Amino acid sequence: MPLDWAYVAVFALVGAGMAALPLGLVWLLAPRSHYPQKRVAYESGIIPFGEAWSQFHVRYYLFGLAFLLFDIEVIYIYPWAVVLRELGAFAFVEMLIFLGVLGVGLAYAWKKGALEWV
Amino acid sequence: MNWADLRWLVPELVLSAAAVLLLVADLFTPAERKRWLGWFAVASVVPAAASAVILLGDLQALRSPGVRIFSDTYTLDAFAVYFKLVALGAVALVSLVSLEYFPGRTPHLGEVFALLLFAGVGLLLMASASDLILLLLSIEFVSLSSYLLAGFLKRDPKSNEAGVKYFLYGAATTGVMAYGFSLLYGLTGSTSLYDIGPRLGQAGPAVYLAVGMALAGFGFKVSMVPFHQWTPDVYEGAPTPITAFLSVGPKAAGFAALVRTLSVGIPLEQVNWPLLLAALSALTMTVGNLLALVQRNLKRMLAYSSIAHAGYVLMALAAWRSPWALQGLLYYLLAYLFMNLGAFFVAMVAADATGSDEIPDHAGLSQRAPWVAAAMAVFMLSLTGIPPTAGFFGKFYLFAAAVDAGLLWLAALAVANSVVSLYYYVGVLRALYLMPPATPGPLPVPAGLRAGLLVALVGTLAAGLYPQPVVLFVETARRLLTG
Repeated sequence: MPLDWAYVAVFALVGAGMAALPLGLVWLLAPRSHYPQKRVAYESGIIPFGEAWSQFHVRYYLFGLAFLLFDIEVIYIYPWAVVLRELGAFAFVEMLIFLGVLGVGLAYAWKKGALEWV
Repeated sequence: MNWADLRWLVPELVLSAAAVLLLVADLFTPAERKRWLGWFAVASVVPAAASAVILLGDLQALRSPGVRIFSDTYTLDAFAVYFKLVALGAVALVSLVSLEYFPGRTPHLGEVFALLLFAGVGLLLMASASDLILLLLSIEFVSLSSYLLAGFLKRDPKSNEAGVKYFLYGAATTGVMAYGFSLLYGLTGSTSLYDIGPRLGQAGPAVYLAVGMALAGFGFKVSMVPFHQWTPDVYEGAPTPITAFLSVGPKAAGFAALVRTLSVGIPLEQVNWPLLLAALSALTMTVGNLLALVQRNLKRMLAYSSIAHAGYVLMALAAWRSPWALQGLLYYLLAYLFMNLGAFFVAMVAADATGSDEIPDHAGLSQRAPWVAAAMAVFMLSLTGIPPTAGFFGKFYLFAAAVDAGLLWLAALAVANSVVSLYYYVGVLRALYLMPPATPGPLPVPAGLRAGLLVALVGTLAAGLYPQPVVLFVETARRLLTG
């Protein structure tokens, strides 16, 4: 058992090293030059204006949640689609129920006006 | 996996279907009819509870201590059915009083009942989960519904505070618990409690670390010291019916999950968890009681009292080697369901009139609503553990178990704590009976609240005066869990 944990420790150390090594090498070897433009936020090439800490509309949050929900749903459907043939009718009905519940969620969000931008 | 296994899941399926249906119905219900949704929620508990009882009958017909379905991730036995019934009772009673509380305070009435039902589904799952992953998911399911309910009154800063604090604290403890679960999986190569037990092997530091971390999550749910800090703030800020729900539903289910995890997954011989829980029990009941002494807000006082009661119940786990332990735990949680819900319901009556939860503002309730004050007297005496109430028998069982297991010091400490608790419980009665009311005149009590109070009162007295049926059920459940 202690040997198993030693594997974990070695793995963790090597993993951390893999991440740290290139960063460290770049820090050591790369030539550096500083000029003020480098400190400006990157805004697709245009000169940034206004504050970076601006207020976002709370509505983004609603859309974000709704998007996330249906984004995650797809992750469940992929493995289901792969094994559907072997599992047969049970899995099919199960997925229909799952999608039905999600549909209720969508209907709820729609009816409550969460999908409208006002 | 096959279709036939689904029949053991009927209570959960019924309640889930009802919750989804309620959510859809809410969309098409005009504002003035929304109260019907509450009645629908109360009614939907009936078939769920009935099917749970029928499943118990099926189990007995099969002469089987319990069935394990879905590759051992889900266990249905008398123990699970008992907790399912307690959880459903809490959902029904809280939905009933919510009918009187939430209209006028929030326009989103449908969601209250839908969330209560969803939380109920989570509680049913927690009572049966026998796999770490399902356990974690069901605890999270209950927690997420509870966070929303605690912060439901979004224009009330205190309710907001309750929701956010509950969420942050819950998220952190769930993280710690998940880490503990991952260690258990790492040590044994299985997430099923039935496999973890035999494979755990000799206890090393890793095992103790895993069990300790897992305890953080359960400790949060049952408000065990040192994971109790959220309790007073959340109980005070959350809408009162929700506070009542949090104090019994998730707590009872938390104990169910804790008992199953420890008794099935962690063998006594390898990890001496009863000793650990004896220390935590002593700490929990003492801290809860001492802090309850100085509270002036009724909801905060009941919050600390609920921490103290978690300590008493933990005594059952400390005394696990005694055959009385599980019986005591089961009986106590049922008694606690009635007396604690009742106490919070009375808190609603008085707060409705004065708009305040401070204990002195409940003064003179005995003159304005004599029956409500009398009911409160019963609940307070029951919480102290004075016969012939249910609380007395519960404590009797637990103390007997502790003595039986040789934990005399713990039993003595619990008795001392009960004496201390008399002070603050009677303090409430002093305000109710001996202090004059600020505004005289009878106080109207809404019908739903009256019904809820009546059930809690009858339950508290009946379980105390005629404990036979409960004791019988509890004994069956015990024999079935421990074999």
